[in-house]
Order: sequence, then C-alpha cells, then structure tokens
Amino acid sequence: MKKEDREILREMEATDCLLDVRDVTMKFTKYEVGVDSLKELVVRALRGNLQHEQFVCLKKISFQIHRGEAVAVIGRNGVGKSTLLKIVSGILYPTRGSVHRRGKIAPLLQLGAGFDNNATGIENIYLNAAIMGYTKKEITAKLPAILDFAELGDFIHSPVKTYSSGMLARLGFSIAVNMDADIMLIDEILAVGDMAFQNKCYAKLQELREKGLTFLIVSHGAGIESLCDRAIWIERGRMVANGPAKDIFAAYAAMMTNPETSSRV
Amino acid sequence: MASPRSKAKHVFQQGYLLRLLVRRNIKNQYYRSFIGVLWTVLNPLLNMLVMAFVFSELFGFDSQGGLDYSLYILSGNIIFSIMSSSTSGSLPCLVNQQDMLQKTKVSLTLFPTANVFSSLVTFGFSFIALLIVALIRLAAGAFSFHWEIVFTIVLLPAVVLFSLGLSYLLSALYVFFRDIQHVYTVLLTLWTYLTPLFYTIEALNKPIVEKLMNFNPMYHYVSYFRDILMGNIPSLGEHIVCYGFALGMFAIGILVMTLVRNKIAAKL
Repeated sequence: MKKEDREILREMEATDCLLDVRDVTMKFTKYEVGVDSLKELVVRALRGNLQHEQFVCLKKISFQIHRGEAVAVIGRNGVGKSTLLKIVSGILYPTRGSVHRRGKIAPLLQLGAGFDNNATGIENIYLNAAIMGYTKKEITAKLPAILDFAELGDFIHSPVKTYSSGMLARLGFSIAVNMDADIMLIDEILAVGDMAFQNKCYAKLQELREKGLTFLIVSHGAGIESLCDRAIWIERGRMVANGPAKDIFAAYAAMMTNPETSSRV
Repeated sequence: MASPRSKAKHVFQQGYLLRLLVRRNIKNQYYRSFIGVLWTVLNPLLNMLVMAFVFSELFGFDSQGGLDYSLYILSGNIIFSIMSSSTSGSLPCLVNQQDMLQKTKVSLTLFPTANVFSSLVTFGFSFIALLIVALIRLAAGAFSFHWEIVFTIVLLPAVVLFSLGLSYLLSALYVFFRDIQHVYTVLLTLWTYLTPLFYTIEALNKPIVEKLMNFNPMYHYVSYFRDILMGNIPSLGEHIVCYGFALGMFAIGILVMTLVRNKIAAKL
C-alpha cells in the first residue's frame, strides 16, 4: 500500500468516512470501428490506422460519504451515473484519481445479476451472497430473513428459470438488503417489480436507514428524495452540485421542466 | 485494512465461492441426464472402447510391449483432457459471464479457475474408469498394479498449473479477439494428434519427431502418467521439465491477466 493511500485511509477512519472519491476521471477508448477480432487488428495495423478516439465519461469527480448518510446521484440518461457507481464498487478502475473504501460494500447494480437459471432459489441465495463476499456460515445465519422478505413460498425450491421477473427482483433485493453491508450501492433497480414491491423496498430501505445503513442510490425519480439527505447532480460527466437533497432535487426538477431559462446550480 | 486474519478469511471465502462454482459446472454439464454424474465415469470408458477398437482393430496400432493398449489410450486421454476440456471451456468464459462481471465485484480469475477444477473433478471420475479397466486387464493377465500409481498426486498439480495459465491467457485474449475461438479449436485438434495419445513415438521411428516432442508439455505429462502406471518413477530431470512448463505457463497467464484486467471490465 502506498503512503498516500495509507494517509487517506487514516483520515477516513478519523472522520468515520466510508467512501472517499478523489478526482476520478474516466476515459473510454472508442475504436472508430470496434476492433473485436484479430483480423481487424492486423488489417488496421498494416494500414497504420490504429489510433483511437477517447471520450471522457467522467471528469474530476470528488466526494465523500460518511457513515449513516444516504446520498442520491441524479442526472439525465447517459451522463455517467452508472459508470460512477461501477467505479465506486470497484468493478471498473478509474483512468485517473482514486477511490478508497472502508467496510463491506454491497453493489446492487442489477437485481439477480449472476443468478444461475438451472439452480434453485436456495442455491442461488448461496451463490449470490458468496459472490458478494460472504461465507457459508454467514449466509446460513441470514437465510430465514432473506426467505421471509422474498416471499417466494415453495417456489424457493424450484429453478429460478421458472420465476417471473418480479420474483427474481424480490429474491435479488432480499439477498442484498439482508446481508448487513456497510454501504449499499443501488442503481435504479427499484423500477422493476409492481407497486407493492416498490413500496416494500422503499420501506425496507427506510428501516435500514434508521438503523444506520449508508447508501448511494442512482435514480432520476423523485421517489427517493425523502430517503436521502444529500444529492449529487451529474451533468455531462461533471459534478454540478453536491448538497442537501431537497434543494438539489428542486433545482434538477426545475431544469428538467424548463431547460432554457433556469440557471445551473 | 488487510490484516493477516482478514486476508485468511478472504482466501477461505473465495475457496467457498470456487467450490460453489465448480459444483455448478459439474451439475450443469449433466443437468437433466438420466444417470447424471455416472456419465463422467461412463464417458471416458465408452470413448476408450471406441478408440481402442478403431486404432487397434482397424489401424493395427498397439503399444509394443509397454503398457496394455487399452490402458495406454485411456491414460493418455484422461490426462490430456484435463488440459483440453478446461481450456476450451475457459476460452469464452469471461465473455459468457459478462453479466456477472459487469454488475458484481468478482475476481476475473475465478471463472477460468472453476473450469480447471471442474476438469480435475472429471479426471477423478475418469480415474475410477481407468481403475475399472485396469482390474479387467489384471484379470486377463495383461496388467499388474504398482504402488507408484500414487505419484499421480505429484503429477496433477503440474497439469493443473499449466491448464490454469493457459486458461487465464485464452479467456483474457478472447475478450479482445473473438476469432481466436476458431483458431484454438484447430490448434487443439493439432495438439491432440501431435501428442502420442493413440500411437507411441517409438512406432514412428523418426528421431527428429522424438526431439521435437520434448517441446510439447502435454507429451511430458502423458508419459509421466504412463511411466508411473508401469511402475517406473520418472527422473528428477523429468520432474523439473514438468514443473518448469507448468510454472512458466502459469506465470504468463497471471501476467497477461494482470496487465489487461482493467481493460477487460471496460471492454465486456
């Protein structure tokens, strides 16, 4: 571990900060035509046509999240919100800048990502939680709570390929929220499922929030406004605002309804 | 912070995840088949019968006084298929799991590793098939058991390391170059025929082939296995060669995986 990393971690420990994002810049190389095959590469190399265009997806994003905070990331489609979440969860590495995390992180970018269709619900609970970094003992301890929230009844012993998408979403969400992570990273997943399920999810998040769970949630809906105390607004890869959820949501809504006249925050 | 204890826990946890993935692989392989896992024993047996029939009855091959021909074929094939089945399974595995790799934080090496260990489990079952054939040949007086067969556990780590290295390399390359699948299928066929699985090199009677064969790692693994079946312990030099290839390949695989790790997640 480098000296500066150690310093940042020590500082985070002192302020009980769980997530520290510093100057994160993400660039993607986009080939003019996707080089997906060896043949393409050879032909292009021979033509001396290998230079590739880069496009900047995120530019110098910095923020911190402390224990017990609930933060929303808002912005229009395609401004880099999901990429930011992937970088924060450690799936992608930023081109420049650093991300430091303390405690257990549960990325919830897609409900039921990594389910095995032929396996039963129970088997998938074990597989999914193991991927999230839990041991067999920890999973077995949480099993009753997961089953209880998922409300799948006897279907839990059937292969998940027989499940409806709503049932998959319930199971996936149930696993993630019951595993006692320190920070949850949630990406617009609550849009699936019926109203009853959505309300149940929000209620569960509210309950966890009161218990002190920290989370970062990506959304464009106002449904999460009451859940969060802070919001980060991203526009074209840049962070344009970071402040109290209420103000930012209001400014964002104003800009969306009347993009010409309203000034940026 | 990574204290030794949390590191140990992490390794233990990843081991558990690996076990789950291996079990899933084996299950899915024989999913919905009537006799299930029994196929892992039957499959090599039936294959061996076909090959023994084709090569000894039709082409007139035999092992010329060495190991009994049916055992010669079976032993070569089950060692070779640890490598061939794990690498051909690993080649598309990162791309096939892109959903999981893009949405969850999971180590890239996990999937190729699970493939190699699944092949190792299959080898275990095939080994039972080998013992069955050996017993039959023993009854016919064409084979006798030697205690040196326990050296299999010295050989296996080398084959596994070699397969791991190649699996890492191929699965990473496939993310960038989809056409290597076709190239590798052909190369693997070539490799199968260039390894003395059905024939003996003595039968070819070409010194140059014998020299070139030394550069084929699979030749070393296969002949090591046959040697111990016949009760000969390979020389120290042979051990060094076997492990040299294994560690070399493993190092290349890990190196490539580390170099392109960041690009894979973005490219998937």
